[in-house]
Parts: sequence; structure tokens; C-alpha cells
Amino acid sequence: MDLFIAQFLNGVSSGVVFGSVALALVLIYRSTGILNFAQGEMALFATYMTWQFTDWGIGVVGAIALSMAFAFVAGAVIERVLIRPVEGAHNPLNVVIVTLGMFLAINALALIIFGTTERKVPYVFPTDSWDVLGTNVAKETVGMAAVLAAECVFLWALLQKTKIGLRLRAVASNPESSRLVGINTGAMLMLGWGLAAAIGALAGSLFAAGETAFAGSSMQIILVYAFAAAALGGFDSLVGAVVGGLVVGVANALTIQYVDLLDGIELAMPLGLILAVLLVRPTGLFGKRHVERV
Amino acid sequence: MSDHQQQDRTAPRHMAARDGDRARGADTVAGVPLQPPTPRPVFIARVVVGVVLTAAALYAPFYFTPSDNRLLSEALYLAVAAMGLNLLTGFTGQVSIGHGAFFGFGAFASATLVDDYGWMFEATIPVVALLTAVVGLLVGFPALRVRGLYLALVTLGLAVLFPQVADKYATRGDGRNIPAIRPDRDSFDSLLEGLENDQWKYYVCLVTLVVLFFAAWNLTRARPGRAMIAVREQELAAATVGVNLSATKLWTFALSAAYAGVAGALSVMIEGNASATNPALYFQLSIEFLVAVVIGGTATILGPLVGALLVVVLRRNAEELVSGEPMLSPALFGGALILLVYVLPDGVVGGVRRLFARLGRRWATYELAPDPLSRSA
Amino acid sequence: MKRFRALRLIAVLLVPILFASACSQRDDDDADGGDNSGEDSGDSGGGDSSLPIDDCEVDPTAEIEGDTIKLVSSFPQSGLTAAFSEIAKGWKSYFEMVNENGGVQIGDRTFTIEYEDRDDEYDAQKTAANIEELVGPSGEDAFAVFSVVGTSNNIFIRDQLGDQCVPNLFAATGAPNWGNKDYPWLAGGSIPPYSLESYVLAEVLKEQKPDAKVGMLIQDDDFGAGYRDSFEAAIEGTDIELVKVESYEPGASDVAAQVTSLAASGADVFFNGATLIACPTALTEAAQNGWQREVTWVSGTCISKTLMGLAGEAADGVYSIANIKDPVDPQYADDPAMQEYRENVTKFQPDADIDNGIVAYGWTQGALLVEALESAEAPTRAAVMEAVRNLDVGDDVGLLAEGTGVTVDDEDRFMGERFNLVQYNFENLYFDLVEAFDYEGQTAELTPEELINGG
Repeated sequence: MDLFIAQFLNGVSSGVVFGSVALALVLIYRSTGILNFAQGEMALFATYMTWQFTDWGIGVVGAIALSMAFAFVAGAVIERVLIRPVEGAHNPLNVVIVTLGMFLAINALALIIFGTTERKVPYVFPTDSWDVLGTNVAKETVGMAAVLAAECVFLWALLQKTKIGLRLRAVASNPESSRLVGINTGAMLMLGWGLAAAIGALAGSLFAAGETAFAGSSMQIILVYAFAAAALGGFDSLVGAVVGGLVVGVANALTIQYVDLLDGIELAMPLGLILAVLLVRPTGLFGKRHVERV
Repeated sequence: MSDHQQQDRTAPRHMAARDGDRARGADTVAGVPLQPPTPRPVFIARVVVGVVLTAAALYAPFYFTPSDNRLLSEALYLAVAAMGLNLLTGFTGQVSIGHGAFFGFGAFASATLVDDYGWMFEATIPVVALLTAVVGLLVGFPALRVRGLYLALVTLGLAVLFPQVADKYATRGDGRNIPAIRPDRDSFDSLLEGLENDQWKYYVCLVTLVVLFFAAWNLTRARPGRAMIAVREQELAAATVGVNLSATKLWTFALSAAYAGVAGALSVMIEGNASATNPALYFQLSIEFLVAVVIGGTATILGPLVGALLVVVLRRNAEELVSGEPMLSPALFGGALILLVYVLPDGVVGGVRRLFARLGRRWATYELAPDPLSRSA
Repeated sequence: MKRFRALRLIAVLLVPILFASACSQRDDDDADGGDNSGEDSGDSGGGDSSLPIDDCEVDPTAEIEGDTIKLVSSFPQSGLTAAFSEIAKGWKSYFEMVNENGGVQIGDRTFTIEYEDRDDEYDAQKTAANIEELVGPSGEDAFAVFSVVGTSNNIFIRDQLGDQCVPNLFAATGAPNWGNKDYPWLAGGSIPPYSLESYVLAEVLKEQKPDAKVGMLIQDDDFGAGYRDSFEAAIEGTDIELVKVESYEPGASDVAAQVTSLAASGADVFFNGATLIACPTALTEAAQNGWQREVTWVSGTCISKTLMGLAGEAADGVYSIANIKDPVDPQYADDPAMQEYRENVTKFQPDADIDNGIVAYGWTQGALLVEALESAEAPTRAAVMEAVRNLDVGDDVGLLAEGTGVTVDDEDRFMGERFNLVQYNFENLYFDLVEAFDYEGQTAELTPEELINGG
């Protein structure tokens, strides 16, 4: 039983990372209807920035804040400069190609600028653990989960309780009418991307801080799991992203421990899970159903 | 610049229906709006270009160096896979980012037949096509119940999973523990006197490509093609007019998987092996198929070929331009992709078509109807 | 939309240009030759021959034409394992130094070393394509292949190079496959064979903990499987037990679940066969799991300052083996070989991570090759291959650690059979020498046969 709980917690701790990245994916999807393949690499670049700031002697929390600010601006600029020109294109696959191009280019730029050596972001949370009823609960896991919860509350409050949030949602659900009522849709789209990039930066930085190190490849595997998390939760639900992340993380850890049959192909578990969920609920666990008009 | 975008979640559904004047429905052939009679100069130009290109394609392997021929052959098999994806994504509107998995399956199947069963390589191609189609059916049956974006993600999972499965179950061959099948080097040698190996391989790829592209061209012009486009444009409407949605999707999926499988088989001939030593390979390939389709021209017949050539050449030139700074090459390649999509939003084939349409207007003795492809500014 | 039209036009024009620049006219007769192995197979090359030179596609006894000797290589420079590109910075520096000092003397002629490399992203298929192109269809574009990184990568090119009789020198992996006598044109480098690592750990355990229960973490590929198989063979007939093996995807850095599983298996010895980031991560995870271990072993590929530094305190006391002087070890501060290394790498590859052990490894491979070239009787492929296969040098070459000279001959193809058992000291941040091992000539006996000759 202890082992089960230990693995469960391992799953939670990686699930929190998947969930955070999935959150960023969902945010972009909700505000612009785009599947952002470059999300992981954007987070990677921001994580390198965090490392760079700490290397210059800035405290890790301050470094993450700076890097989030940088990511926010960069995300908004990317939306305006790279995404906007293809957003109205008659072939929506064009946007996919642009994000794939960004995926390649940003990763390469990060490695050119920051080098291929493994980098270490200082720990944000203490590395020891609490003893809860005989089980070790890493303070890091709790800290990450708390940050993720705070992100969710913040986003919920932003989207549901503020004027800006109202505009964001309006633009997402009907850009044409939003413009008619005087909403600056362009600014809202930029805001959506900026927010997502900042959240990605936070996720990447915290992940890197919790690990012994990160490198240019760190976010690629995470991105695959984050996609799985987002699909599982339903691509337009923030809560879904978080729950999806946790489910995928826990399923993965438990598979490693208990399912020897899937040794080496652990990915089959989350994939099978997604397929199973989608067959029953075509829009994911928390996704909204769309009514289709002919 | 219109920065609006419609609220439309499942990407492929509205593929062509963004602007009113772009709707491609039942009155189209292969996604191309029926146009008024082609003016004579344009027709002549097309014939000339066609003849020149055919001659060039046939003569190419004698002109180029072996390493360039290898590159061209790579482009050809990439084009075959891209055509498969084009049938599914371009014509039927179902986005897959996982066709690399079928490509890989085809490669391993072909290599196994050659290596273990002593088959002649060329004979494996049709068999691989069948086998991959069956796998496509098996995978497509559950996967196609999932729609739009979700289908894209499920297939992405397939592409990432495939090398792991191969690593677990196909580990054999020399060097033990290495997930690769490498038939003898002479298994792919030229069967014709007077043709070097590289030339022979090029022709095998070319012939396969021509056959498969011709088949795709015929298919998309006929009744099944109309069903595919109907599914893409408006599922519900298609269903109400008697298109069997799930059947159409399923056979398109199987067919496109078969194309990818054949491409995989061809890759065994060019690369000399089927390999899963690179865990990201089949994901990267899946992406390349999609890139080739889009930058070549979605839902066109020549698009995948043009796109594949572009991908291969861009990749190679990006590598050569920056020798010594290898990190720059993916940056350049990525940047080039973005640029291409900006400059030619409907792909190279779409761009060329527009050019022809404009030239045609200029040359025509009578004024044509307004170019249906031009977008309102 | 006006400007977009102009841009489109540019793009349309660009396409043919791109094509044109990628093409070059076919040259059907291969006689353009390059500067290497010419057509005149004039004189006797490396006369002696256990080397089968009769079936060669290219005559290996032809002397190099011109005054440069060209080496080509392929290794990851981008992607998941881009960090391996540091190796090349070591050997490039060495070659530059040699060139600056007048070049390398082979037989009675002197040559400048020229090198060219391509990025393969660690993908064996790409390695094969790269090498095929760099060497040329009739082997005319390069003299030899050098320091290709990765086991499957070298296996993918050995048939082609074997048929052409182009030497593939100092394969940069410790796989035991390089002892396979069916491939006379392939020589491994000085990394101790992975199977010897397993063997030495078994030896250490027999002394310290004869009833050890071992938990093992391996990369999910041939590299990891090699550790597993050879360790299983090494503990056969002892009371040591391999209780659990967990694997992770190459390139992954999160191995928490695997380590928890190992810790829970009751193992009291941790064989950490991970490499790159997963290796230090596994150590910190083991510490966080409160895993009580008697002995912890890390892969010889993980002993760089960078990786051990990342694990920090969690790496204290881990064992591994090494045969290269650690650049951060202060005892070598005044060592002339180390000073030469630092000076030249700083000069020729200023962006190299000079404290990183794998740069020192690359430097040493360069030194070993030059040593072999200079001992070759003539500037021919056959003679050079012969020289590499009879290399017998002391520890004064490159940065080979004291007592770890390299000896190979026809019977024994393995380099790196002399090495030191080392233990990490967190206080000092480097490895302390524990014991020297000399398995010269014994690798073939101590390694499961199928790992060497498999398939």
C-alpha cells in the first residue's frame, strides 16, 4: 500500500507538470482555436531565460517572475507577428504548419543561445519531504500542486469575474460580433497568447527547478503527455486540463510499477485511456458539446 | 488583413469554407472549382510544361549524382506518403499526425519479407500495401469515432508509440537489442543492365509514385472523391444526402494508411533498413507528411509531390548552408516553413494555379469571370 | 495585398534557385577522385595481412594523393542527445594542434588532417546516409571514418564501410560489438566495454556484499540491454541477485516512478545505467525516496563533472570506472598533458566545456588516432587499419589516466581494458581512485558471446 501511495504521488508530481503545460495549451485553444505545437518549446525557451537570470545572480523566484514577464510579451508578439497573418487563412492547417515551424525554430534558437549543456535551475521548494501517516510526501509535489491550484483560481477569476475576461470569452466564442460591439479582438488574442506563454514559462521553470537539470529535449516528451492530458480533459476546459494531467501522470507511474507487460511501451496506457474516454465522451471528460448546424 | 476568425473548433471541417467565395462543394472536382473553358494559350502552356517535366523526371537520374538521386528518391517516397495523408486530410478533412506509424509498419513489414523470407524487394510493395491497409482498418475503426482535433492527437500518440512498440517487439537482427531490420545490402540492387543502383531505385520510386498518384487522381474525380469532399465540407449534410459517413472515413483511412505503408517500403530500399533506433523518427515523419501536403497544396494532386520536393530540398539546403553550425539548420527549416505558408497560403500548387489564372485572363481573347481563387483584400 | 503578391513572386522564383543549388551535374566516371585514395595503386601498402583486402570495392593499398588526409564523422549535434557533440570539440582541437605543428607523418610523407562532419541527431538511419555521402559511393571522398557516436549508428555503417574497406576508427561507444572479428575495418575507441563495467561491479559486490540484491535502471535501448545482459552473465553462479530492472525512454529526464519501483523492490545495490540527465536525476530520486543502499554504481558515461555536479550530495560515494584523467581533478593541475589539453581546447574550440570529461575523451581519441597514423607503414587504408589494430601505447597518450595504456592485437580487439575503479567525493567534487583494474585481453572471456558477435 505504501508503494502504491508513493507511486501515486510520483504520478501526481509529474501530472502537475503535464497539467500546467496542458493548461497553457487549453488557454490558447480557447482564445484562438489553435493547437499550439510550439507550446513546449516556448516554455523551454522561457525556462532557459529563468536559468540565465539565476545565473546572473537573481533569486529564483524573481527570475521566474522576470521570465514569465518576458514570456508574456514574447507570446503576445508571436501572436501578432507570426500567428495573426495566418489566422484567417482559408486553410486552417496553415496555422498548424506555422506552430510546427516555431517548434523547430524556437528549440534550435534556445540551443544556439544557451548551449547544449544541461542546466540547473535552483530549487524553488525544499527538497525534503513530510511524513504523512508513514508516507513521504515531497514538499515539492505539494508546492507544485499549490501553484497549479493558484493558477486555476487566477484564470477562473480572470475569465469569469473581470471585464477583460468577459471580452476574452466573447472574442473566443464569436469574434465577429465582439468586434461589432467594440472589443479590440486583436488585443484580446494577444492577451490570450501572452497568458498562455507566461503559464508555460511558470510550468517549465518549476519543472526544471524540481528536476536535477533540464536540457533542450526536456519539454518534448512533456508536450506529448500534455497533449494527452488536454485531450483527456476536453480541449476547452481548464479544469479538464488539470484533471487530465493528473490522470495521465498517475496512470503512467502506476503502469511503470505494476504493468510489466507494458514495460517500454508505457505510453500505451495514457493513449488507450484517451481513446476509451473519447469513445464514450467525444469531447473529453469536461469538454462542452457543440451543436452543429447544417 | 482580416484578423477575424470564425468560431469553429474542429479544424478540418471548415477547411475550405472560410470565405464564401472559396466554398468547394459538390460542384468541384478534386477540390478545384470548375472553371470556364481554359483559354488556348494556357492549355498549350500546360502541355508544354507537362512534357518538359515528364522528360526531366525521366532524365533526372542520368543527370544527377548518386547522392542527389538518393535525395530525389527520398522526396518521391515522402510524396507517396504525403499523397496518402492528402486523401485523408486534404480531401476527407480528417487530420492525422500519425501516419508515420503506418510508414514505419510498412517499412518493417517490407524489410522482414526481404530479410526473413527472401522475397524480392519489388514484390513486397503490393503486399505491404494490403497489410498496411488492414492495419489502417483496425486502427481506424476506433480512431475515427474520435473527431477533428482529437483524432489528430490520438494519431499523434500512435506515431510516438510506434517506435516503442518496434523497440519492444522487433528487436532482432545484428547487434542484438537493436530495433532495426537490415536486409543484405545487395537486396536492392538494380535488376536492369545499364542502370546503376541509384538510378534503379529512383525509377522504382518514380513508377510507384506515378501509379499511386494516377489512382488518387482518378479516385478523387469519381464518385468516391465526391463523397470524401462531402464528408470534409459538411458531415451532417453529407449524411442526409446518402453518404455513408463512417464507411467513407474508414476506407479513406485504410487507403491513406496503405499509401504511407508503401512509402515506408520504398524507404527500406533507399535507406537500406527499417529502423526504430530514433524514438522521434516516426513523429518527425508524420509532421513532414503534413508539411508536404500543406506547402505543396492541400487537396490537390500535384501538391504532395511539390511539397515533398520542397521539404527534402529545404532540409538539405538548410543543412548545407550552415555546415559548422548544425543548430541553425532546424531554425532555418522552421523559418522557411513559416515563410512559405505566409507567401503561398494555398500551397505552391495553389499559387501556380493563381498565376496561370491571371496569365490566362491576360491572354484570353475574352474576359473570364472574376478569378474564383483570389481573396478579397 | 499588394506586398503579398510581390512576396509570392519571390517565392516562386526561389524554388528553382533552391533546386539549382542542390544539384550538381552527374559525373559518371569516378575518376575525379578527391584528394584521397587515388587510382594508382602503385606500391605496397600495409603488406602484412590478416586484413582481407582482396574483396574490397576500393583498393585499400592505394596511397593518399595530395597532402591532406581526410576524416569524416557523424554524430548528434541537435536533438535529444546534442550534448554528445562536445566529444568532437576535443578531437578537433587535437587535430588543429597537430596541423599547427606541421601535420602528421605517415610513412615518409607528411599530411594535414582535414575533417568534415554531419549531424545525425543520434538516428542510425541518418548516420548511414551521412556516411554514405561523406565517403562517396566508391570511397573516394574520405580516407577514413572517425569517432561516430552510438552503437546502432556504428552497426548501421559497418557493412558499407566493410565492403568498401574504409576504416571506421574509434567508434565512440563502449558496446562490446567492436570485438566482432567479422568486421575487420571497424575499431572501437577507448571507452571501457560496458560489459566490463557490469563485471567489475559484480567483482566489487562479491567482496563487499556477496548476497547483494541489485536494482537496475537502464535506458530502453541496446545500450541499456547490454548492461542488463552482461550483468546477468557476470553474477551467474554467485549469490548476487538482480531483483528488478526498470527502463526509461532515451531522452527522458523524469525517472521518479522507475526509481521508486526499484527502491521498493528490496534492492540494496543500485546499478544506475542511465545516461545524460536521467543519471543524476535517478540519484537524487533515490535519495528522496530514502532508498538505503550499500553500493551505488553509475554508468561510465555519467561521470562528467556536469552530470555528477547536478546530482550534488546524492552522488556522494557512488562508484564507477574511468580511464581518462578528470579535467576538474586538482591533482592534474600541473600535469603537462592536462595543460596541453586546456591550452589547445581553449584556443581552437573556445566554446567547448573544457571541464567536461567527454571533451577530454574526444581529445584522447584524437591523440590515439594520430599515434596510430604515425606508426602506420604507409599512407594507405590497409596500413593505417593495420596500425590501429596493433596499437600498443602507454598512458602518455592524450589524457589516458595513469596505468591505462591501450593494447590491441589480432586476438584482442578491445581498447579500454585497463581502467580505475573510482568513487565520487562530494566534498571535492571529483572522483577518487579506489583501485586499478587490468583486464587486458580478457574482455572476450568476460562478456557474453552474443553481445559481441550477436546476430
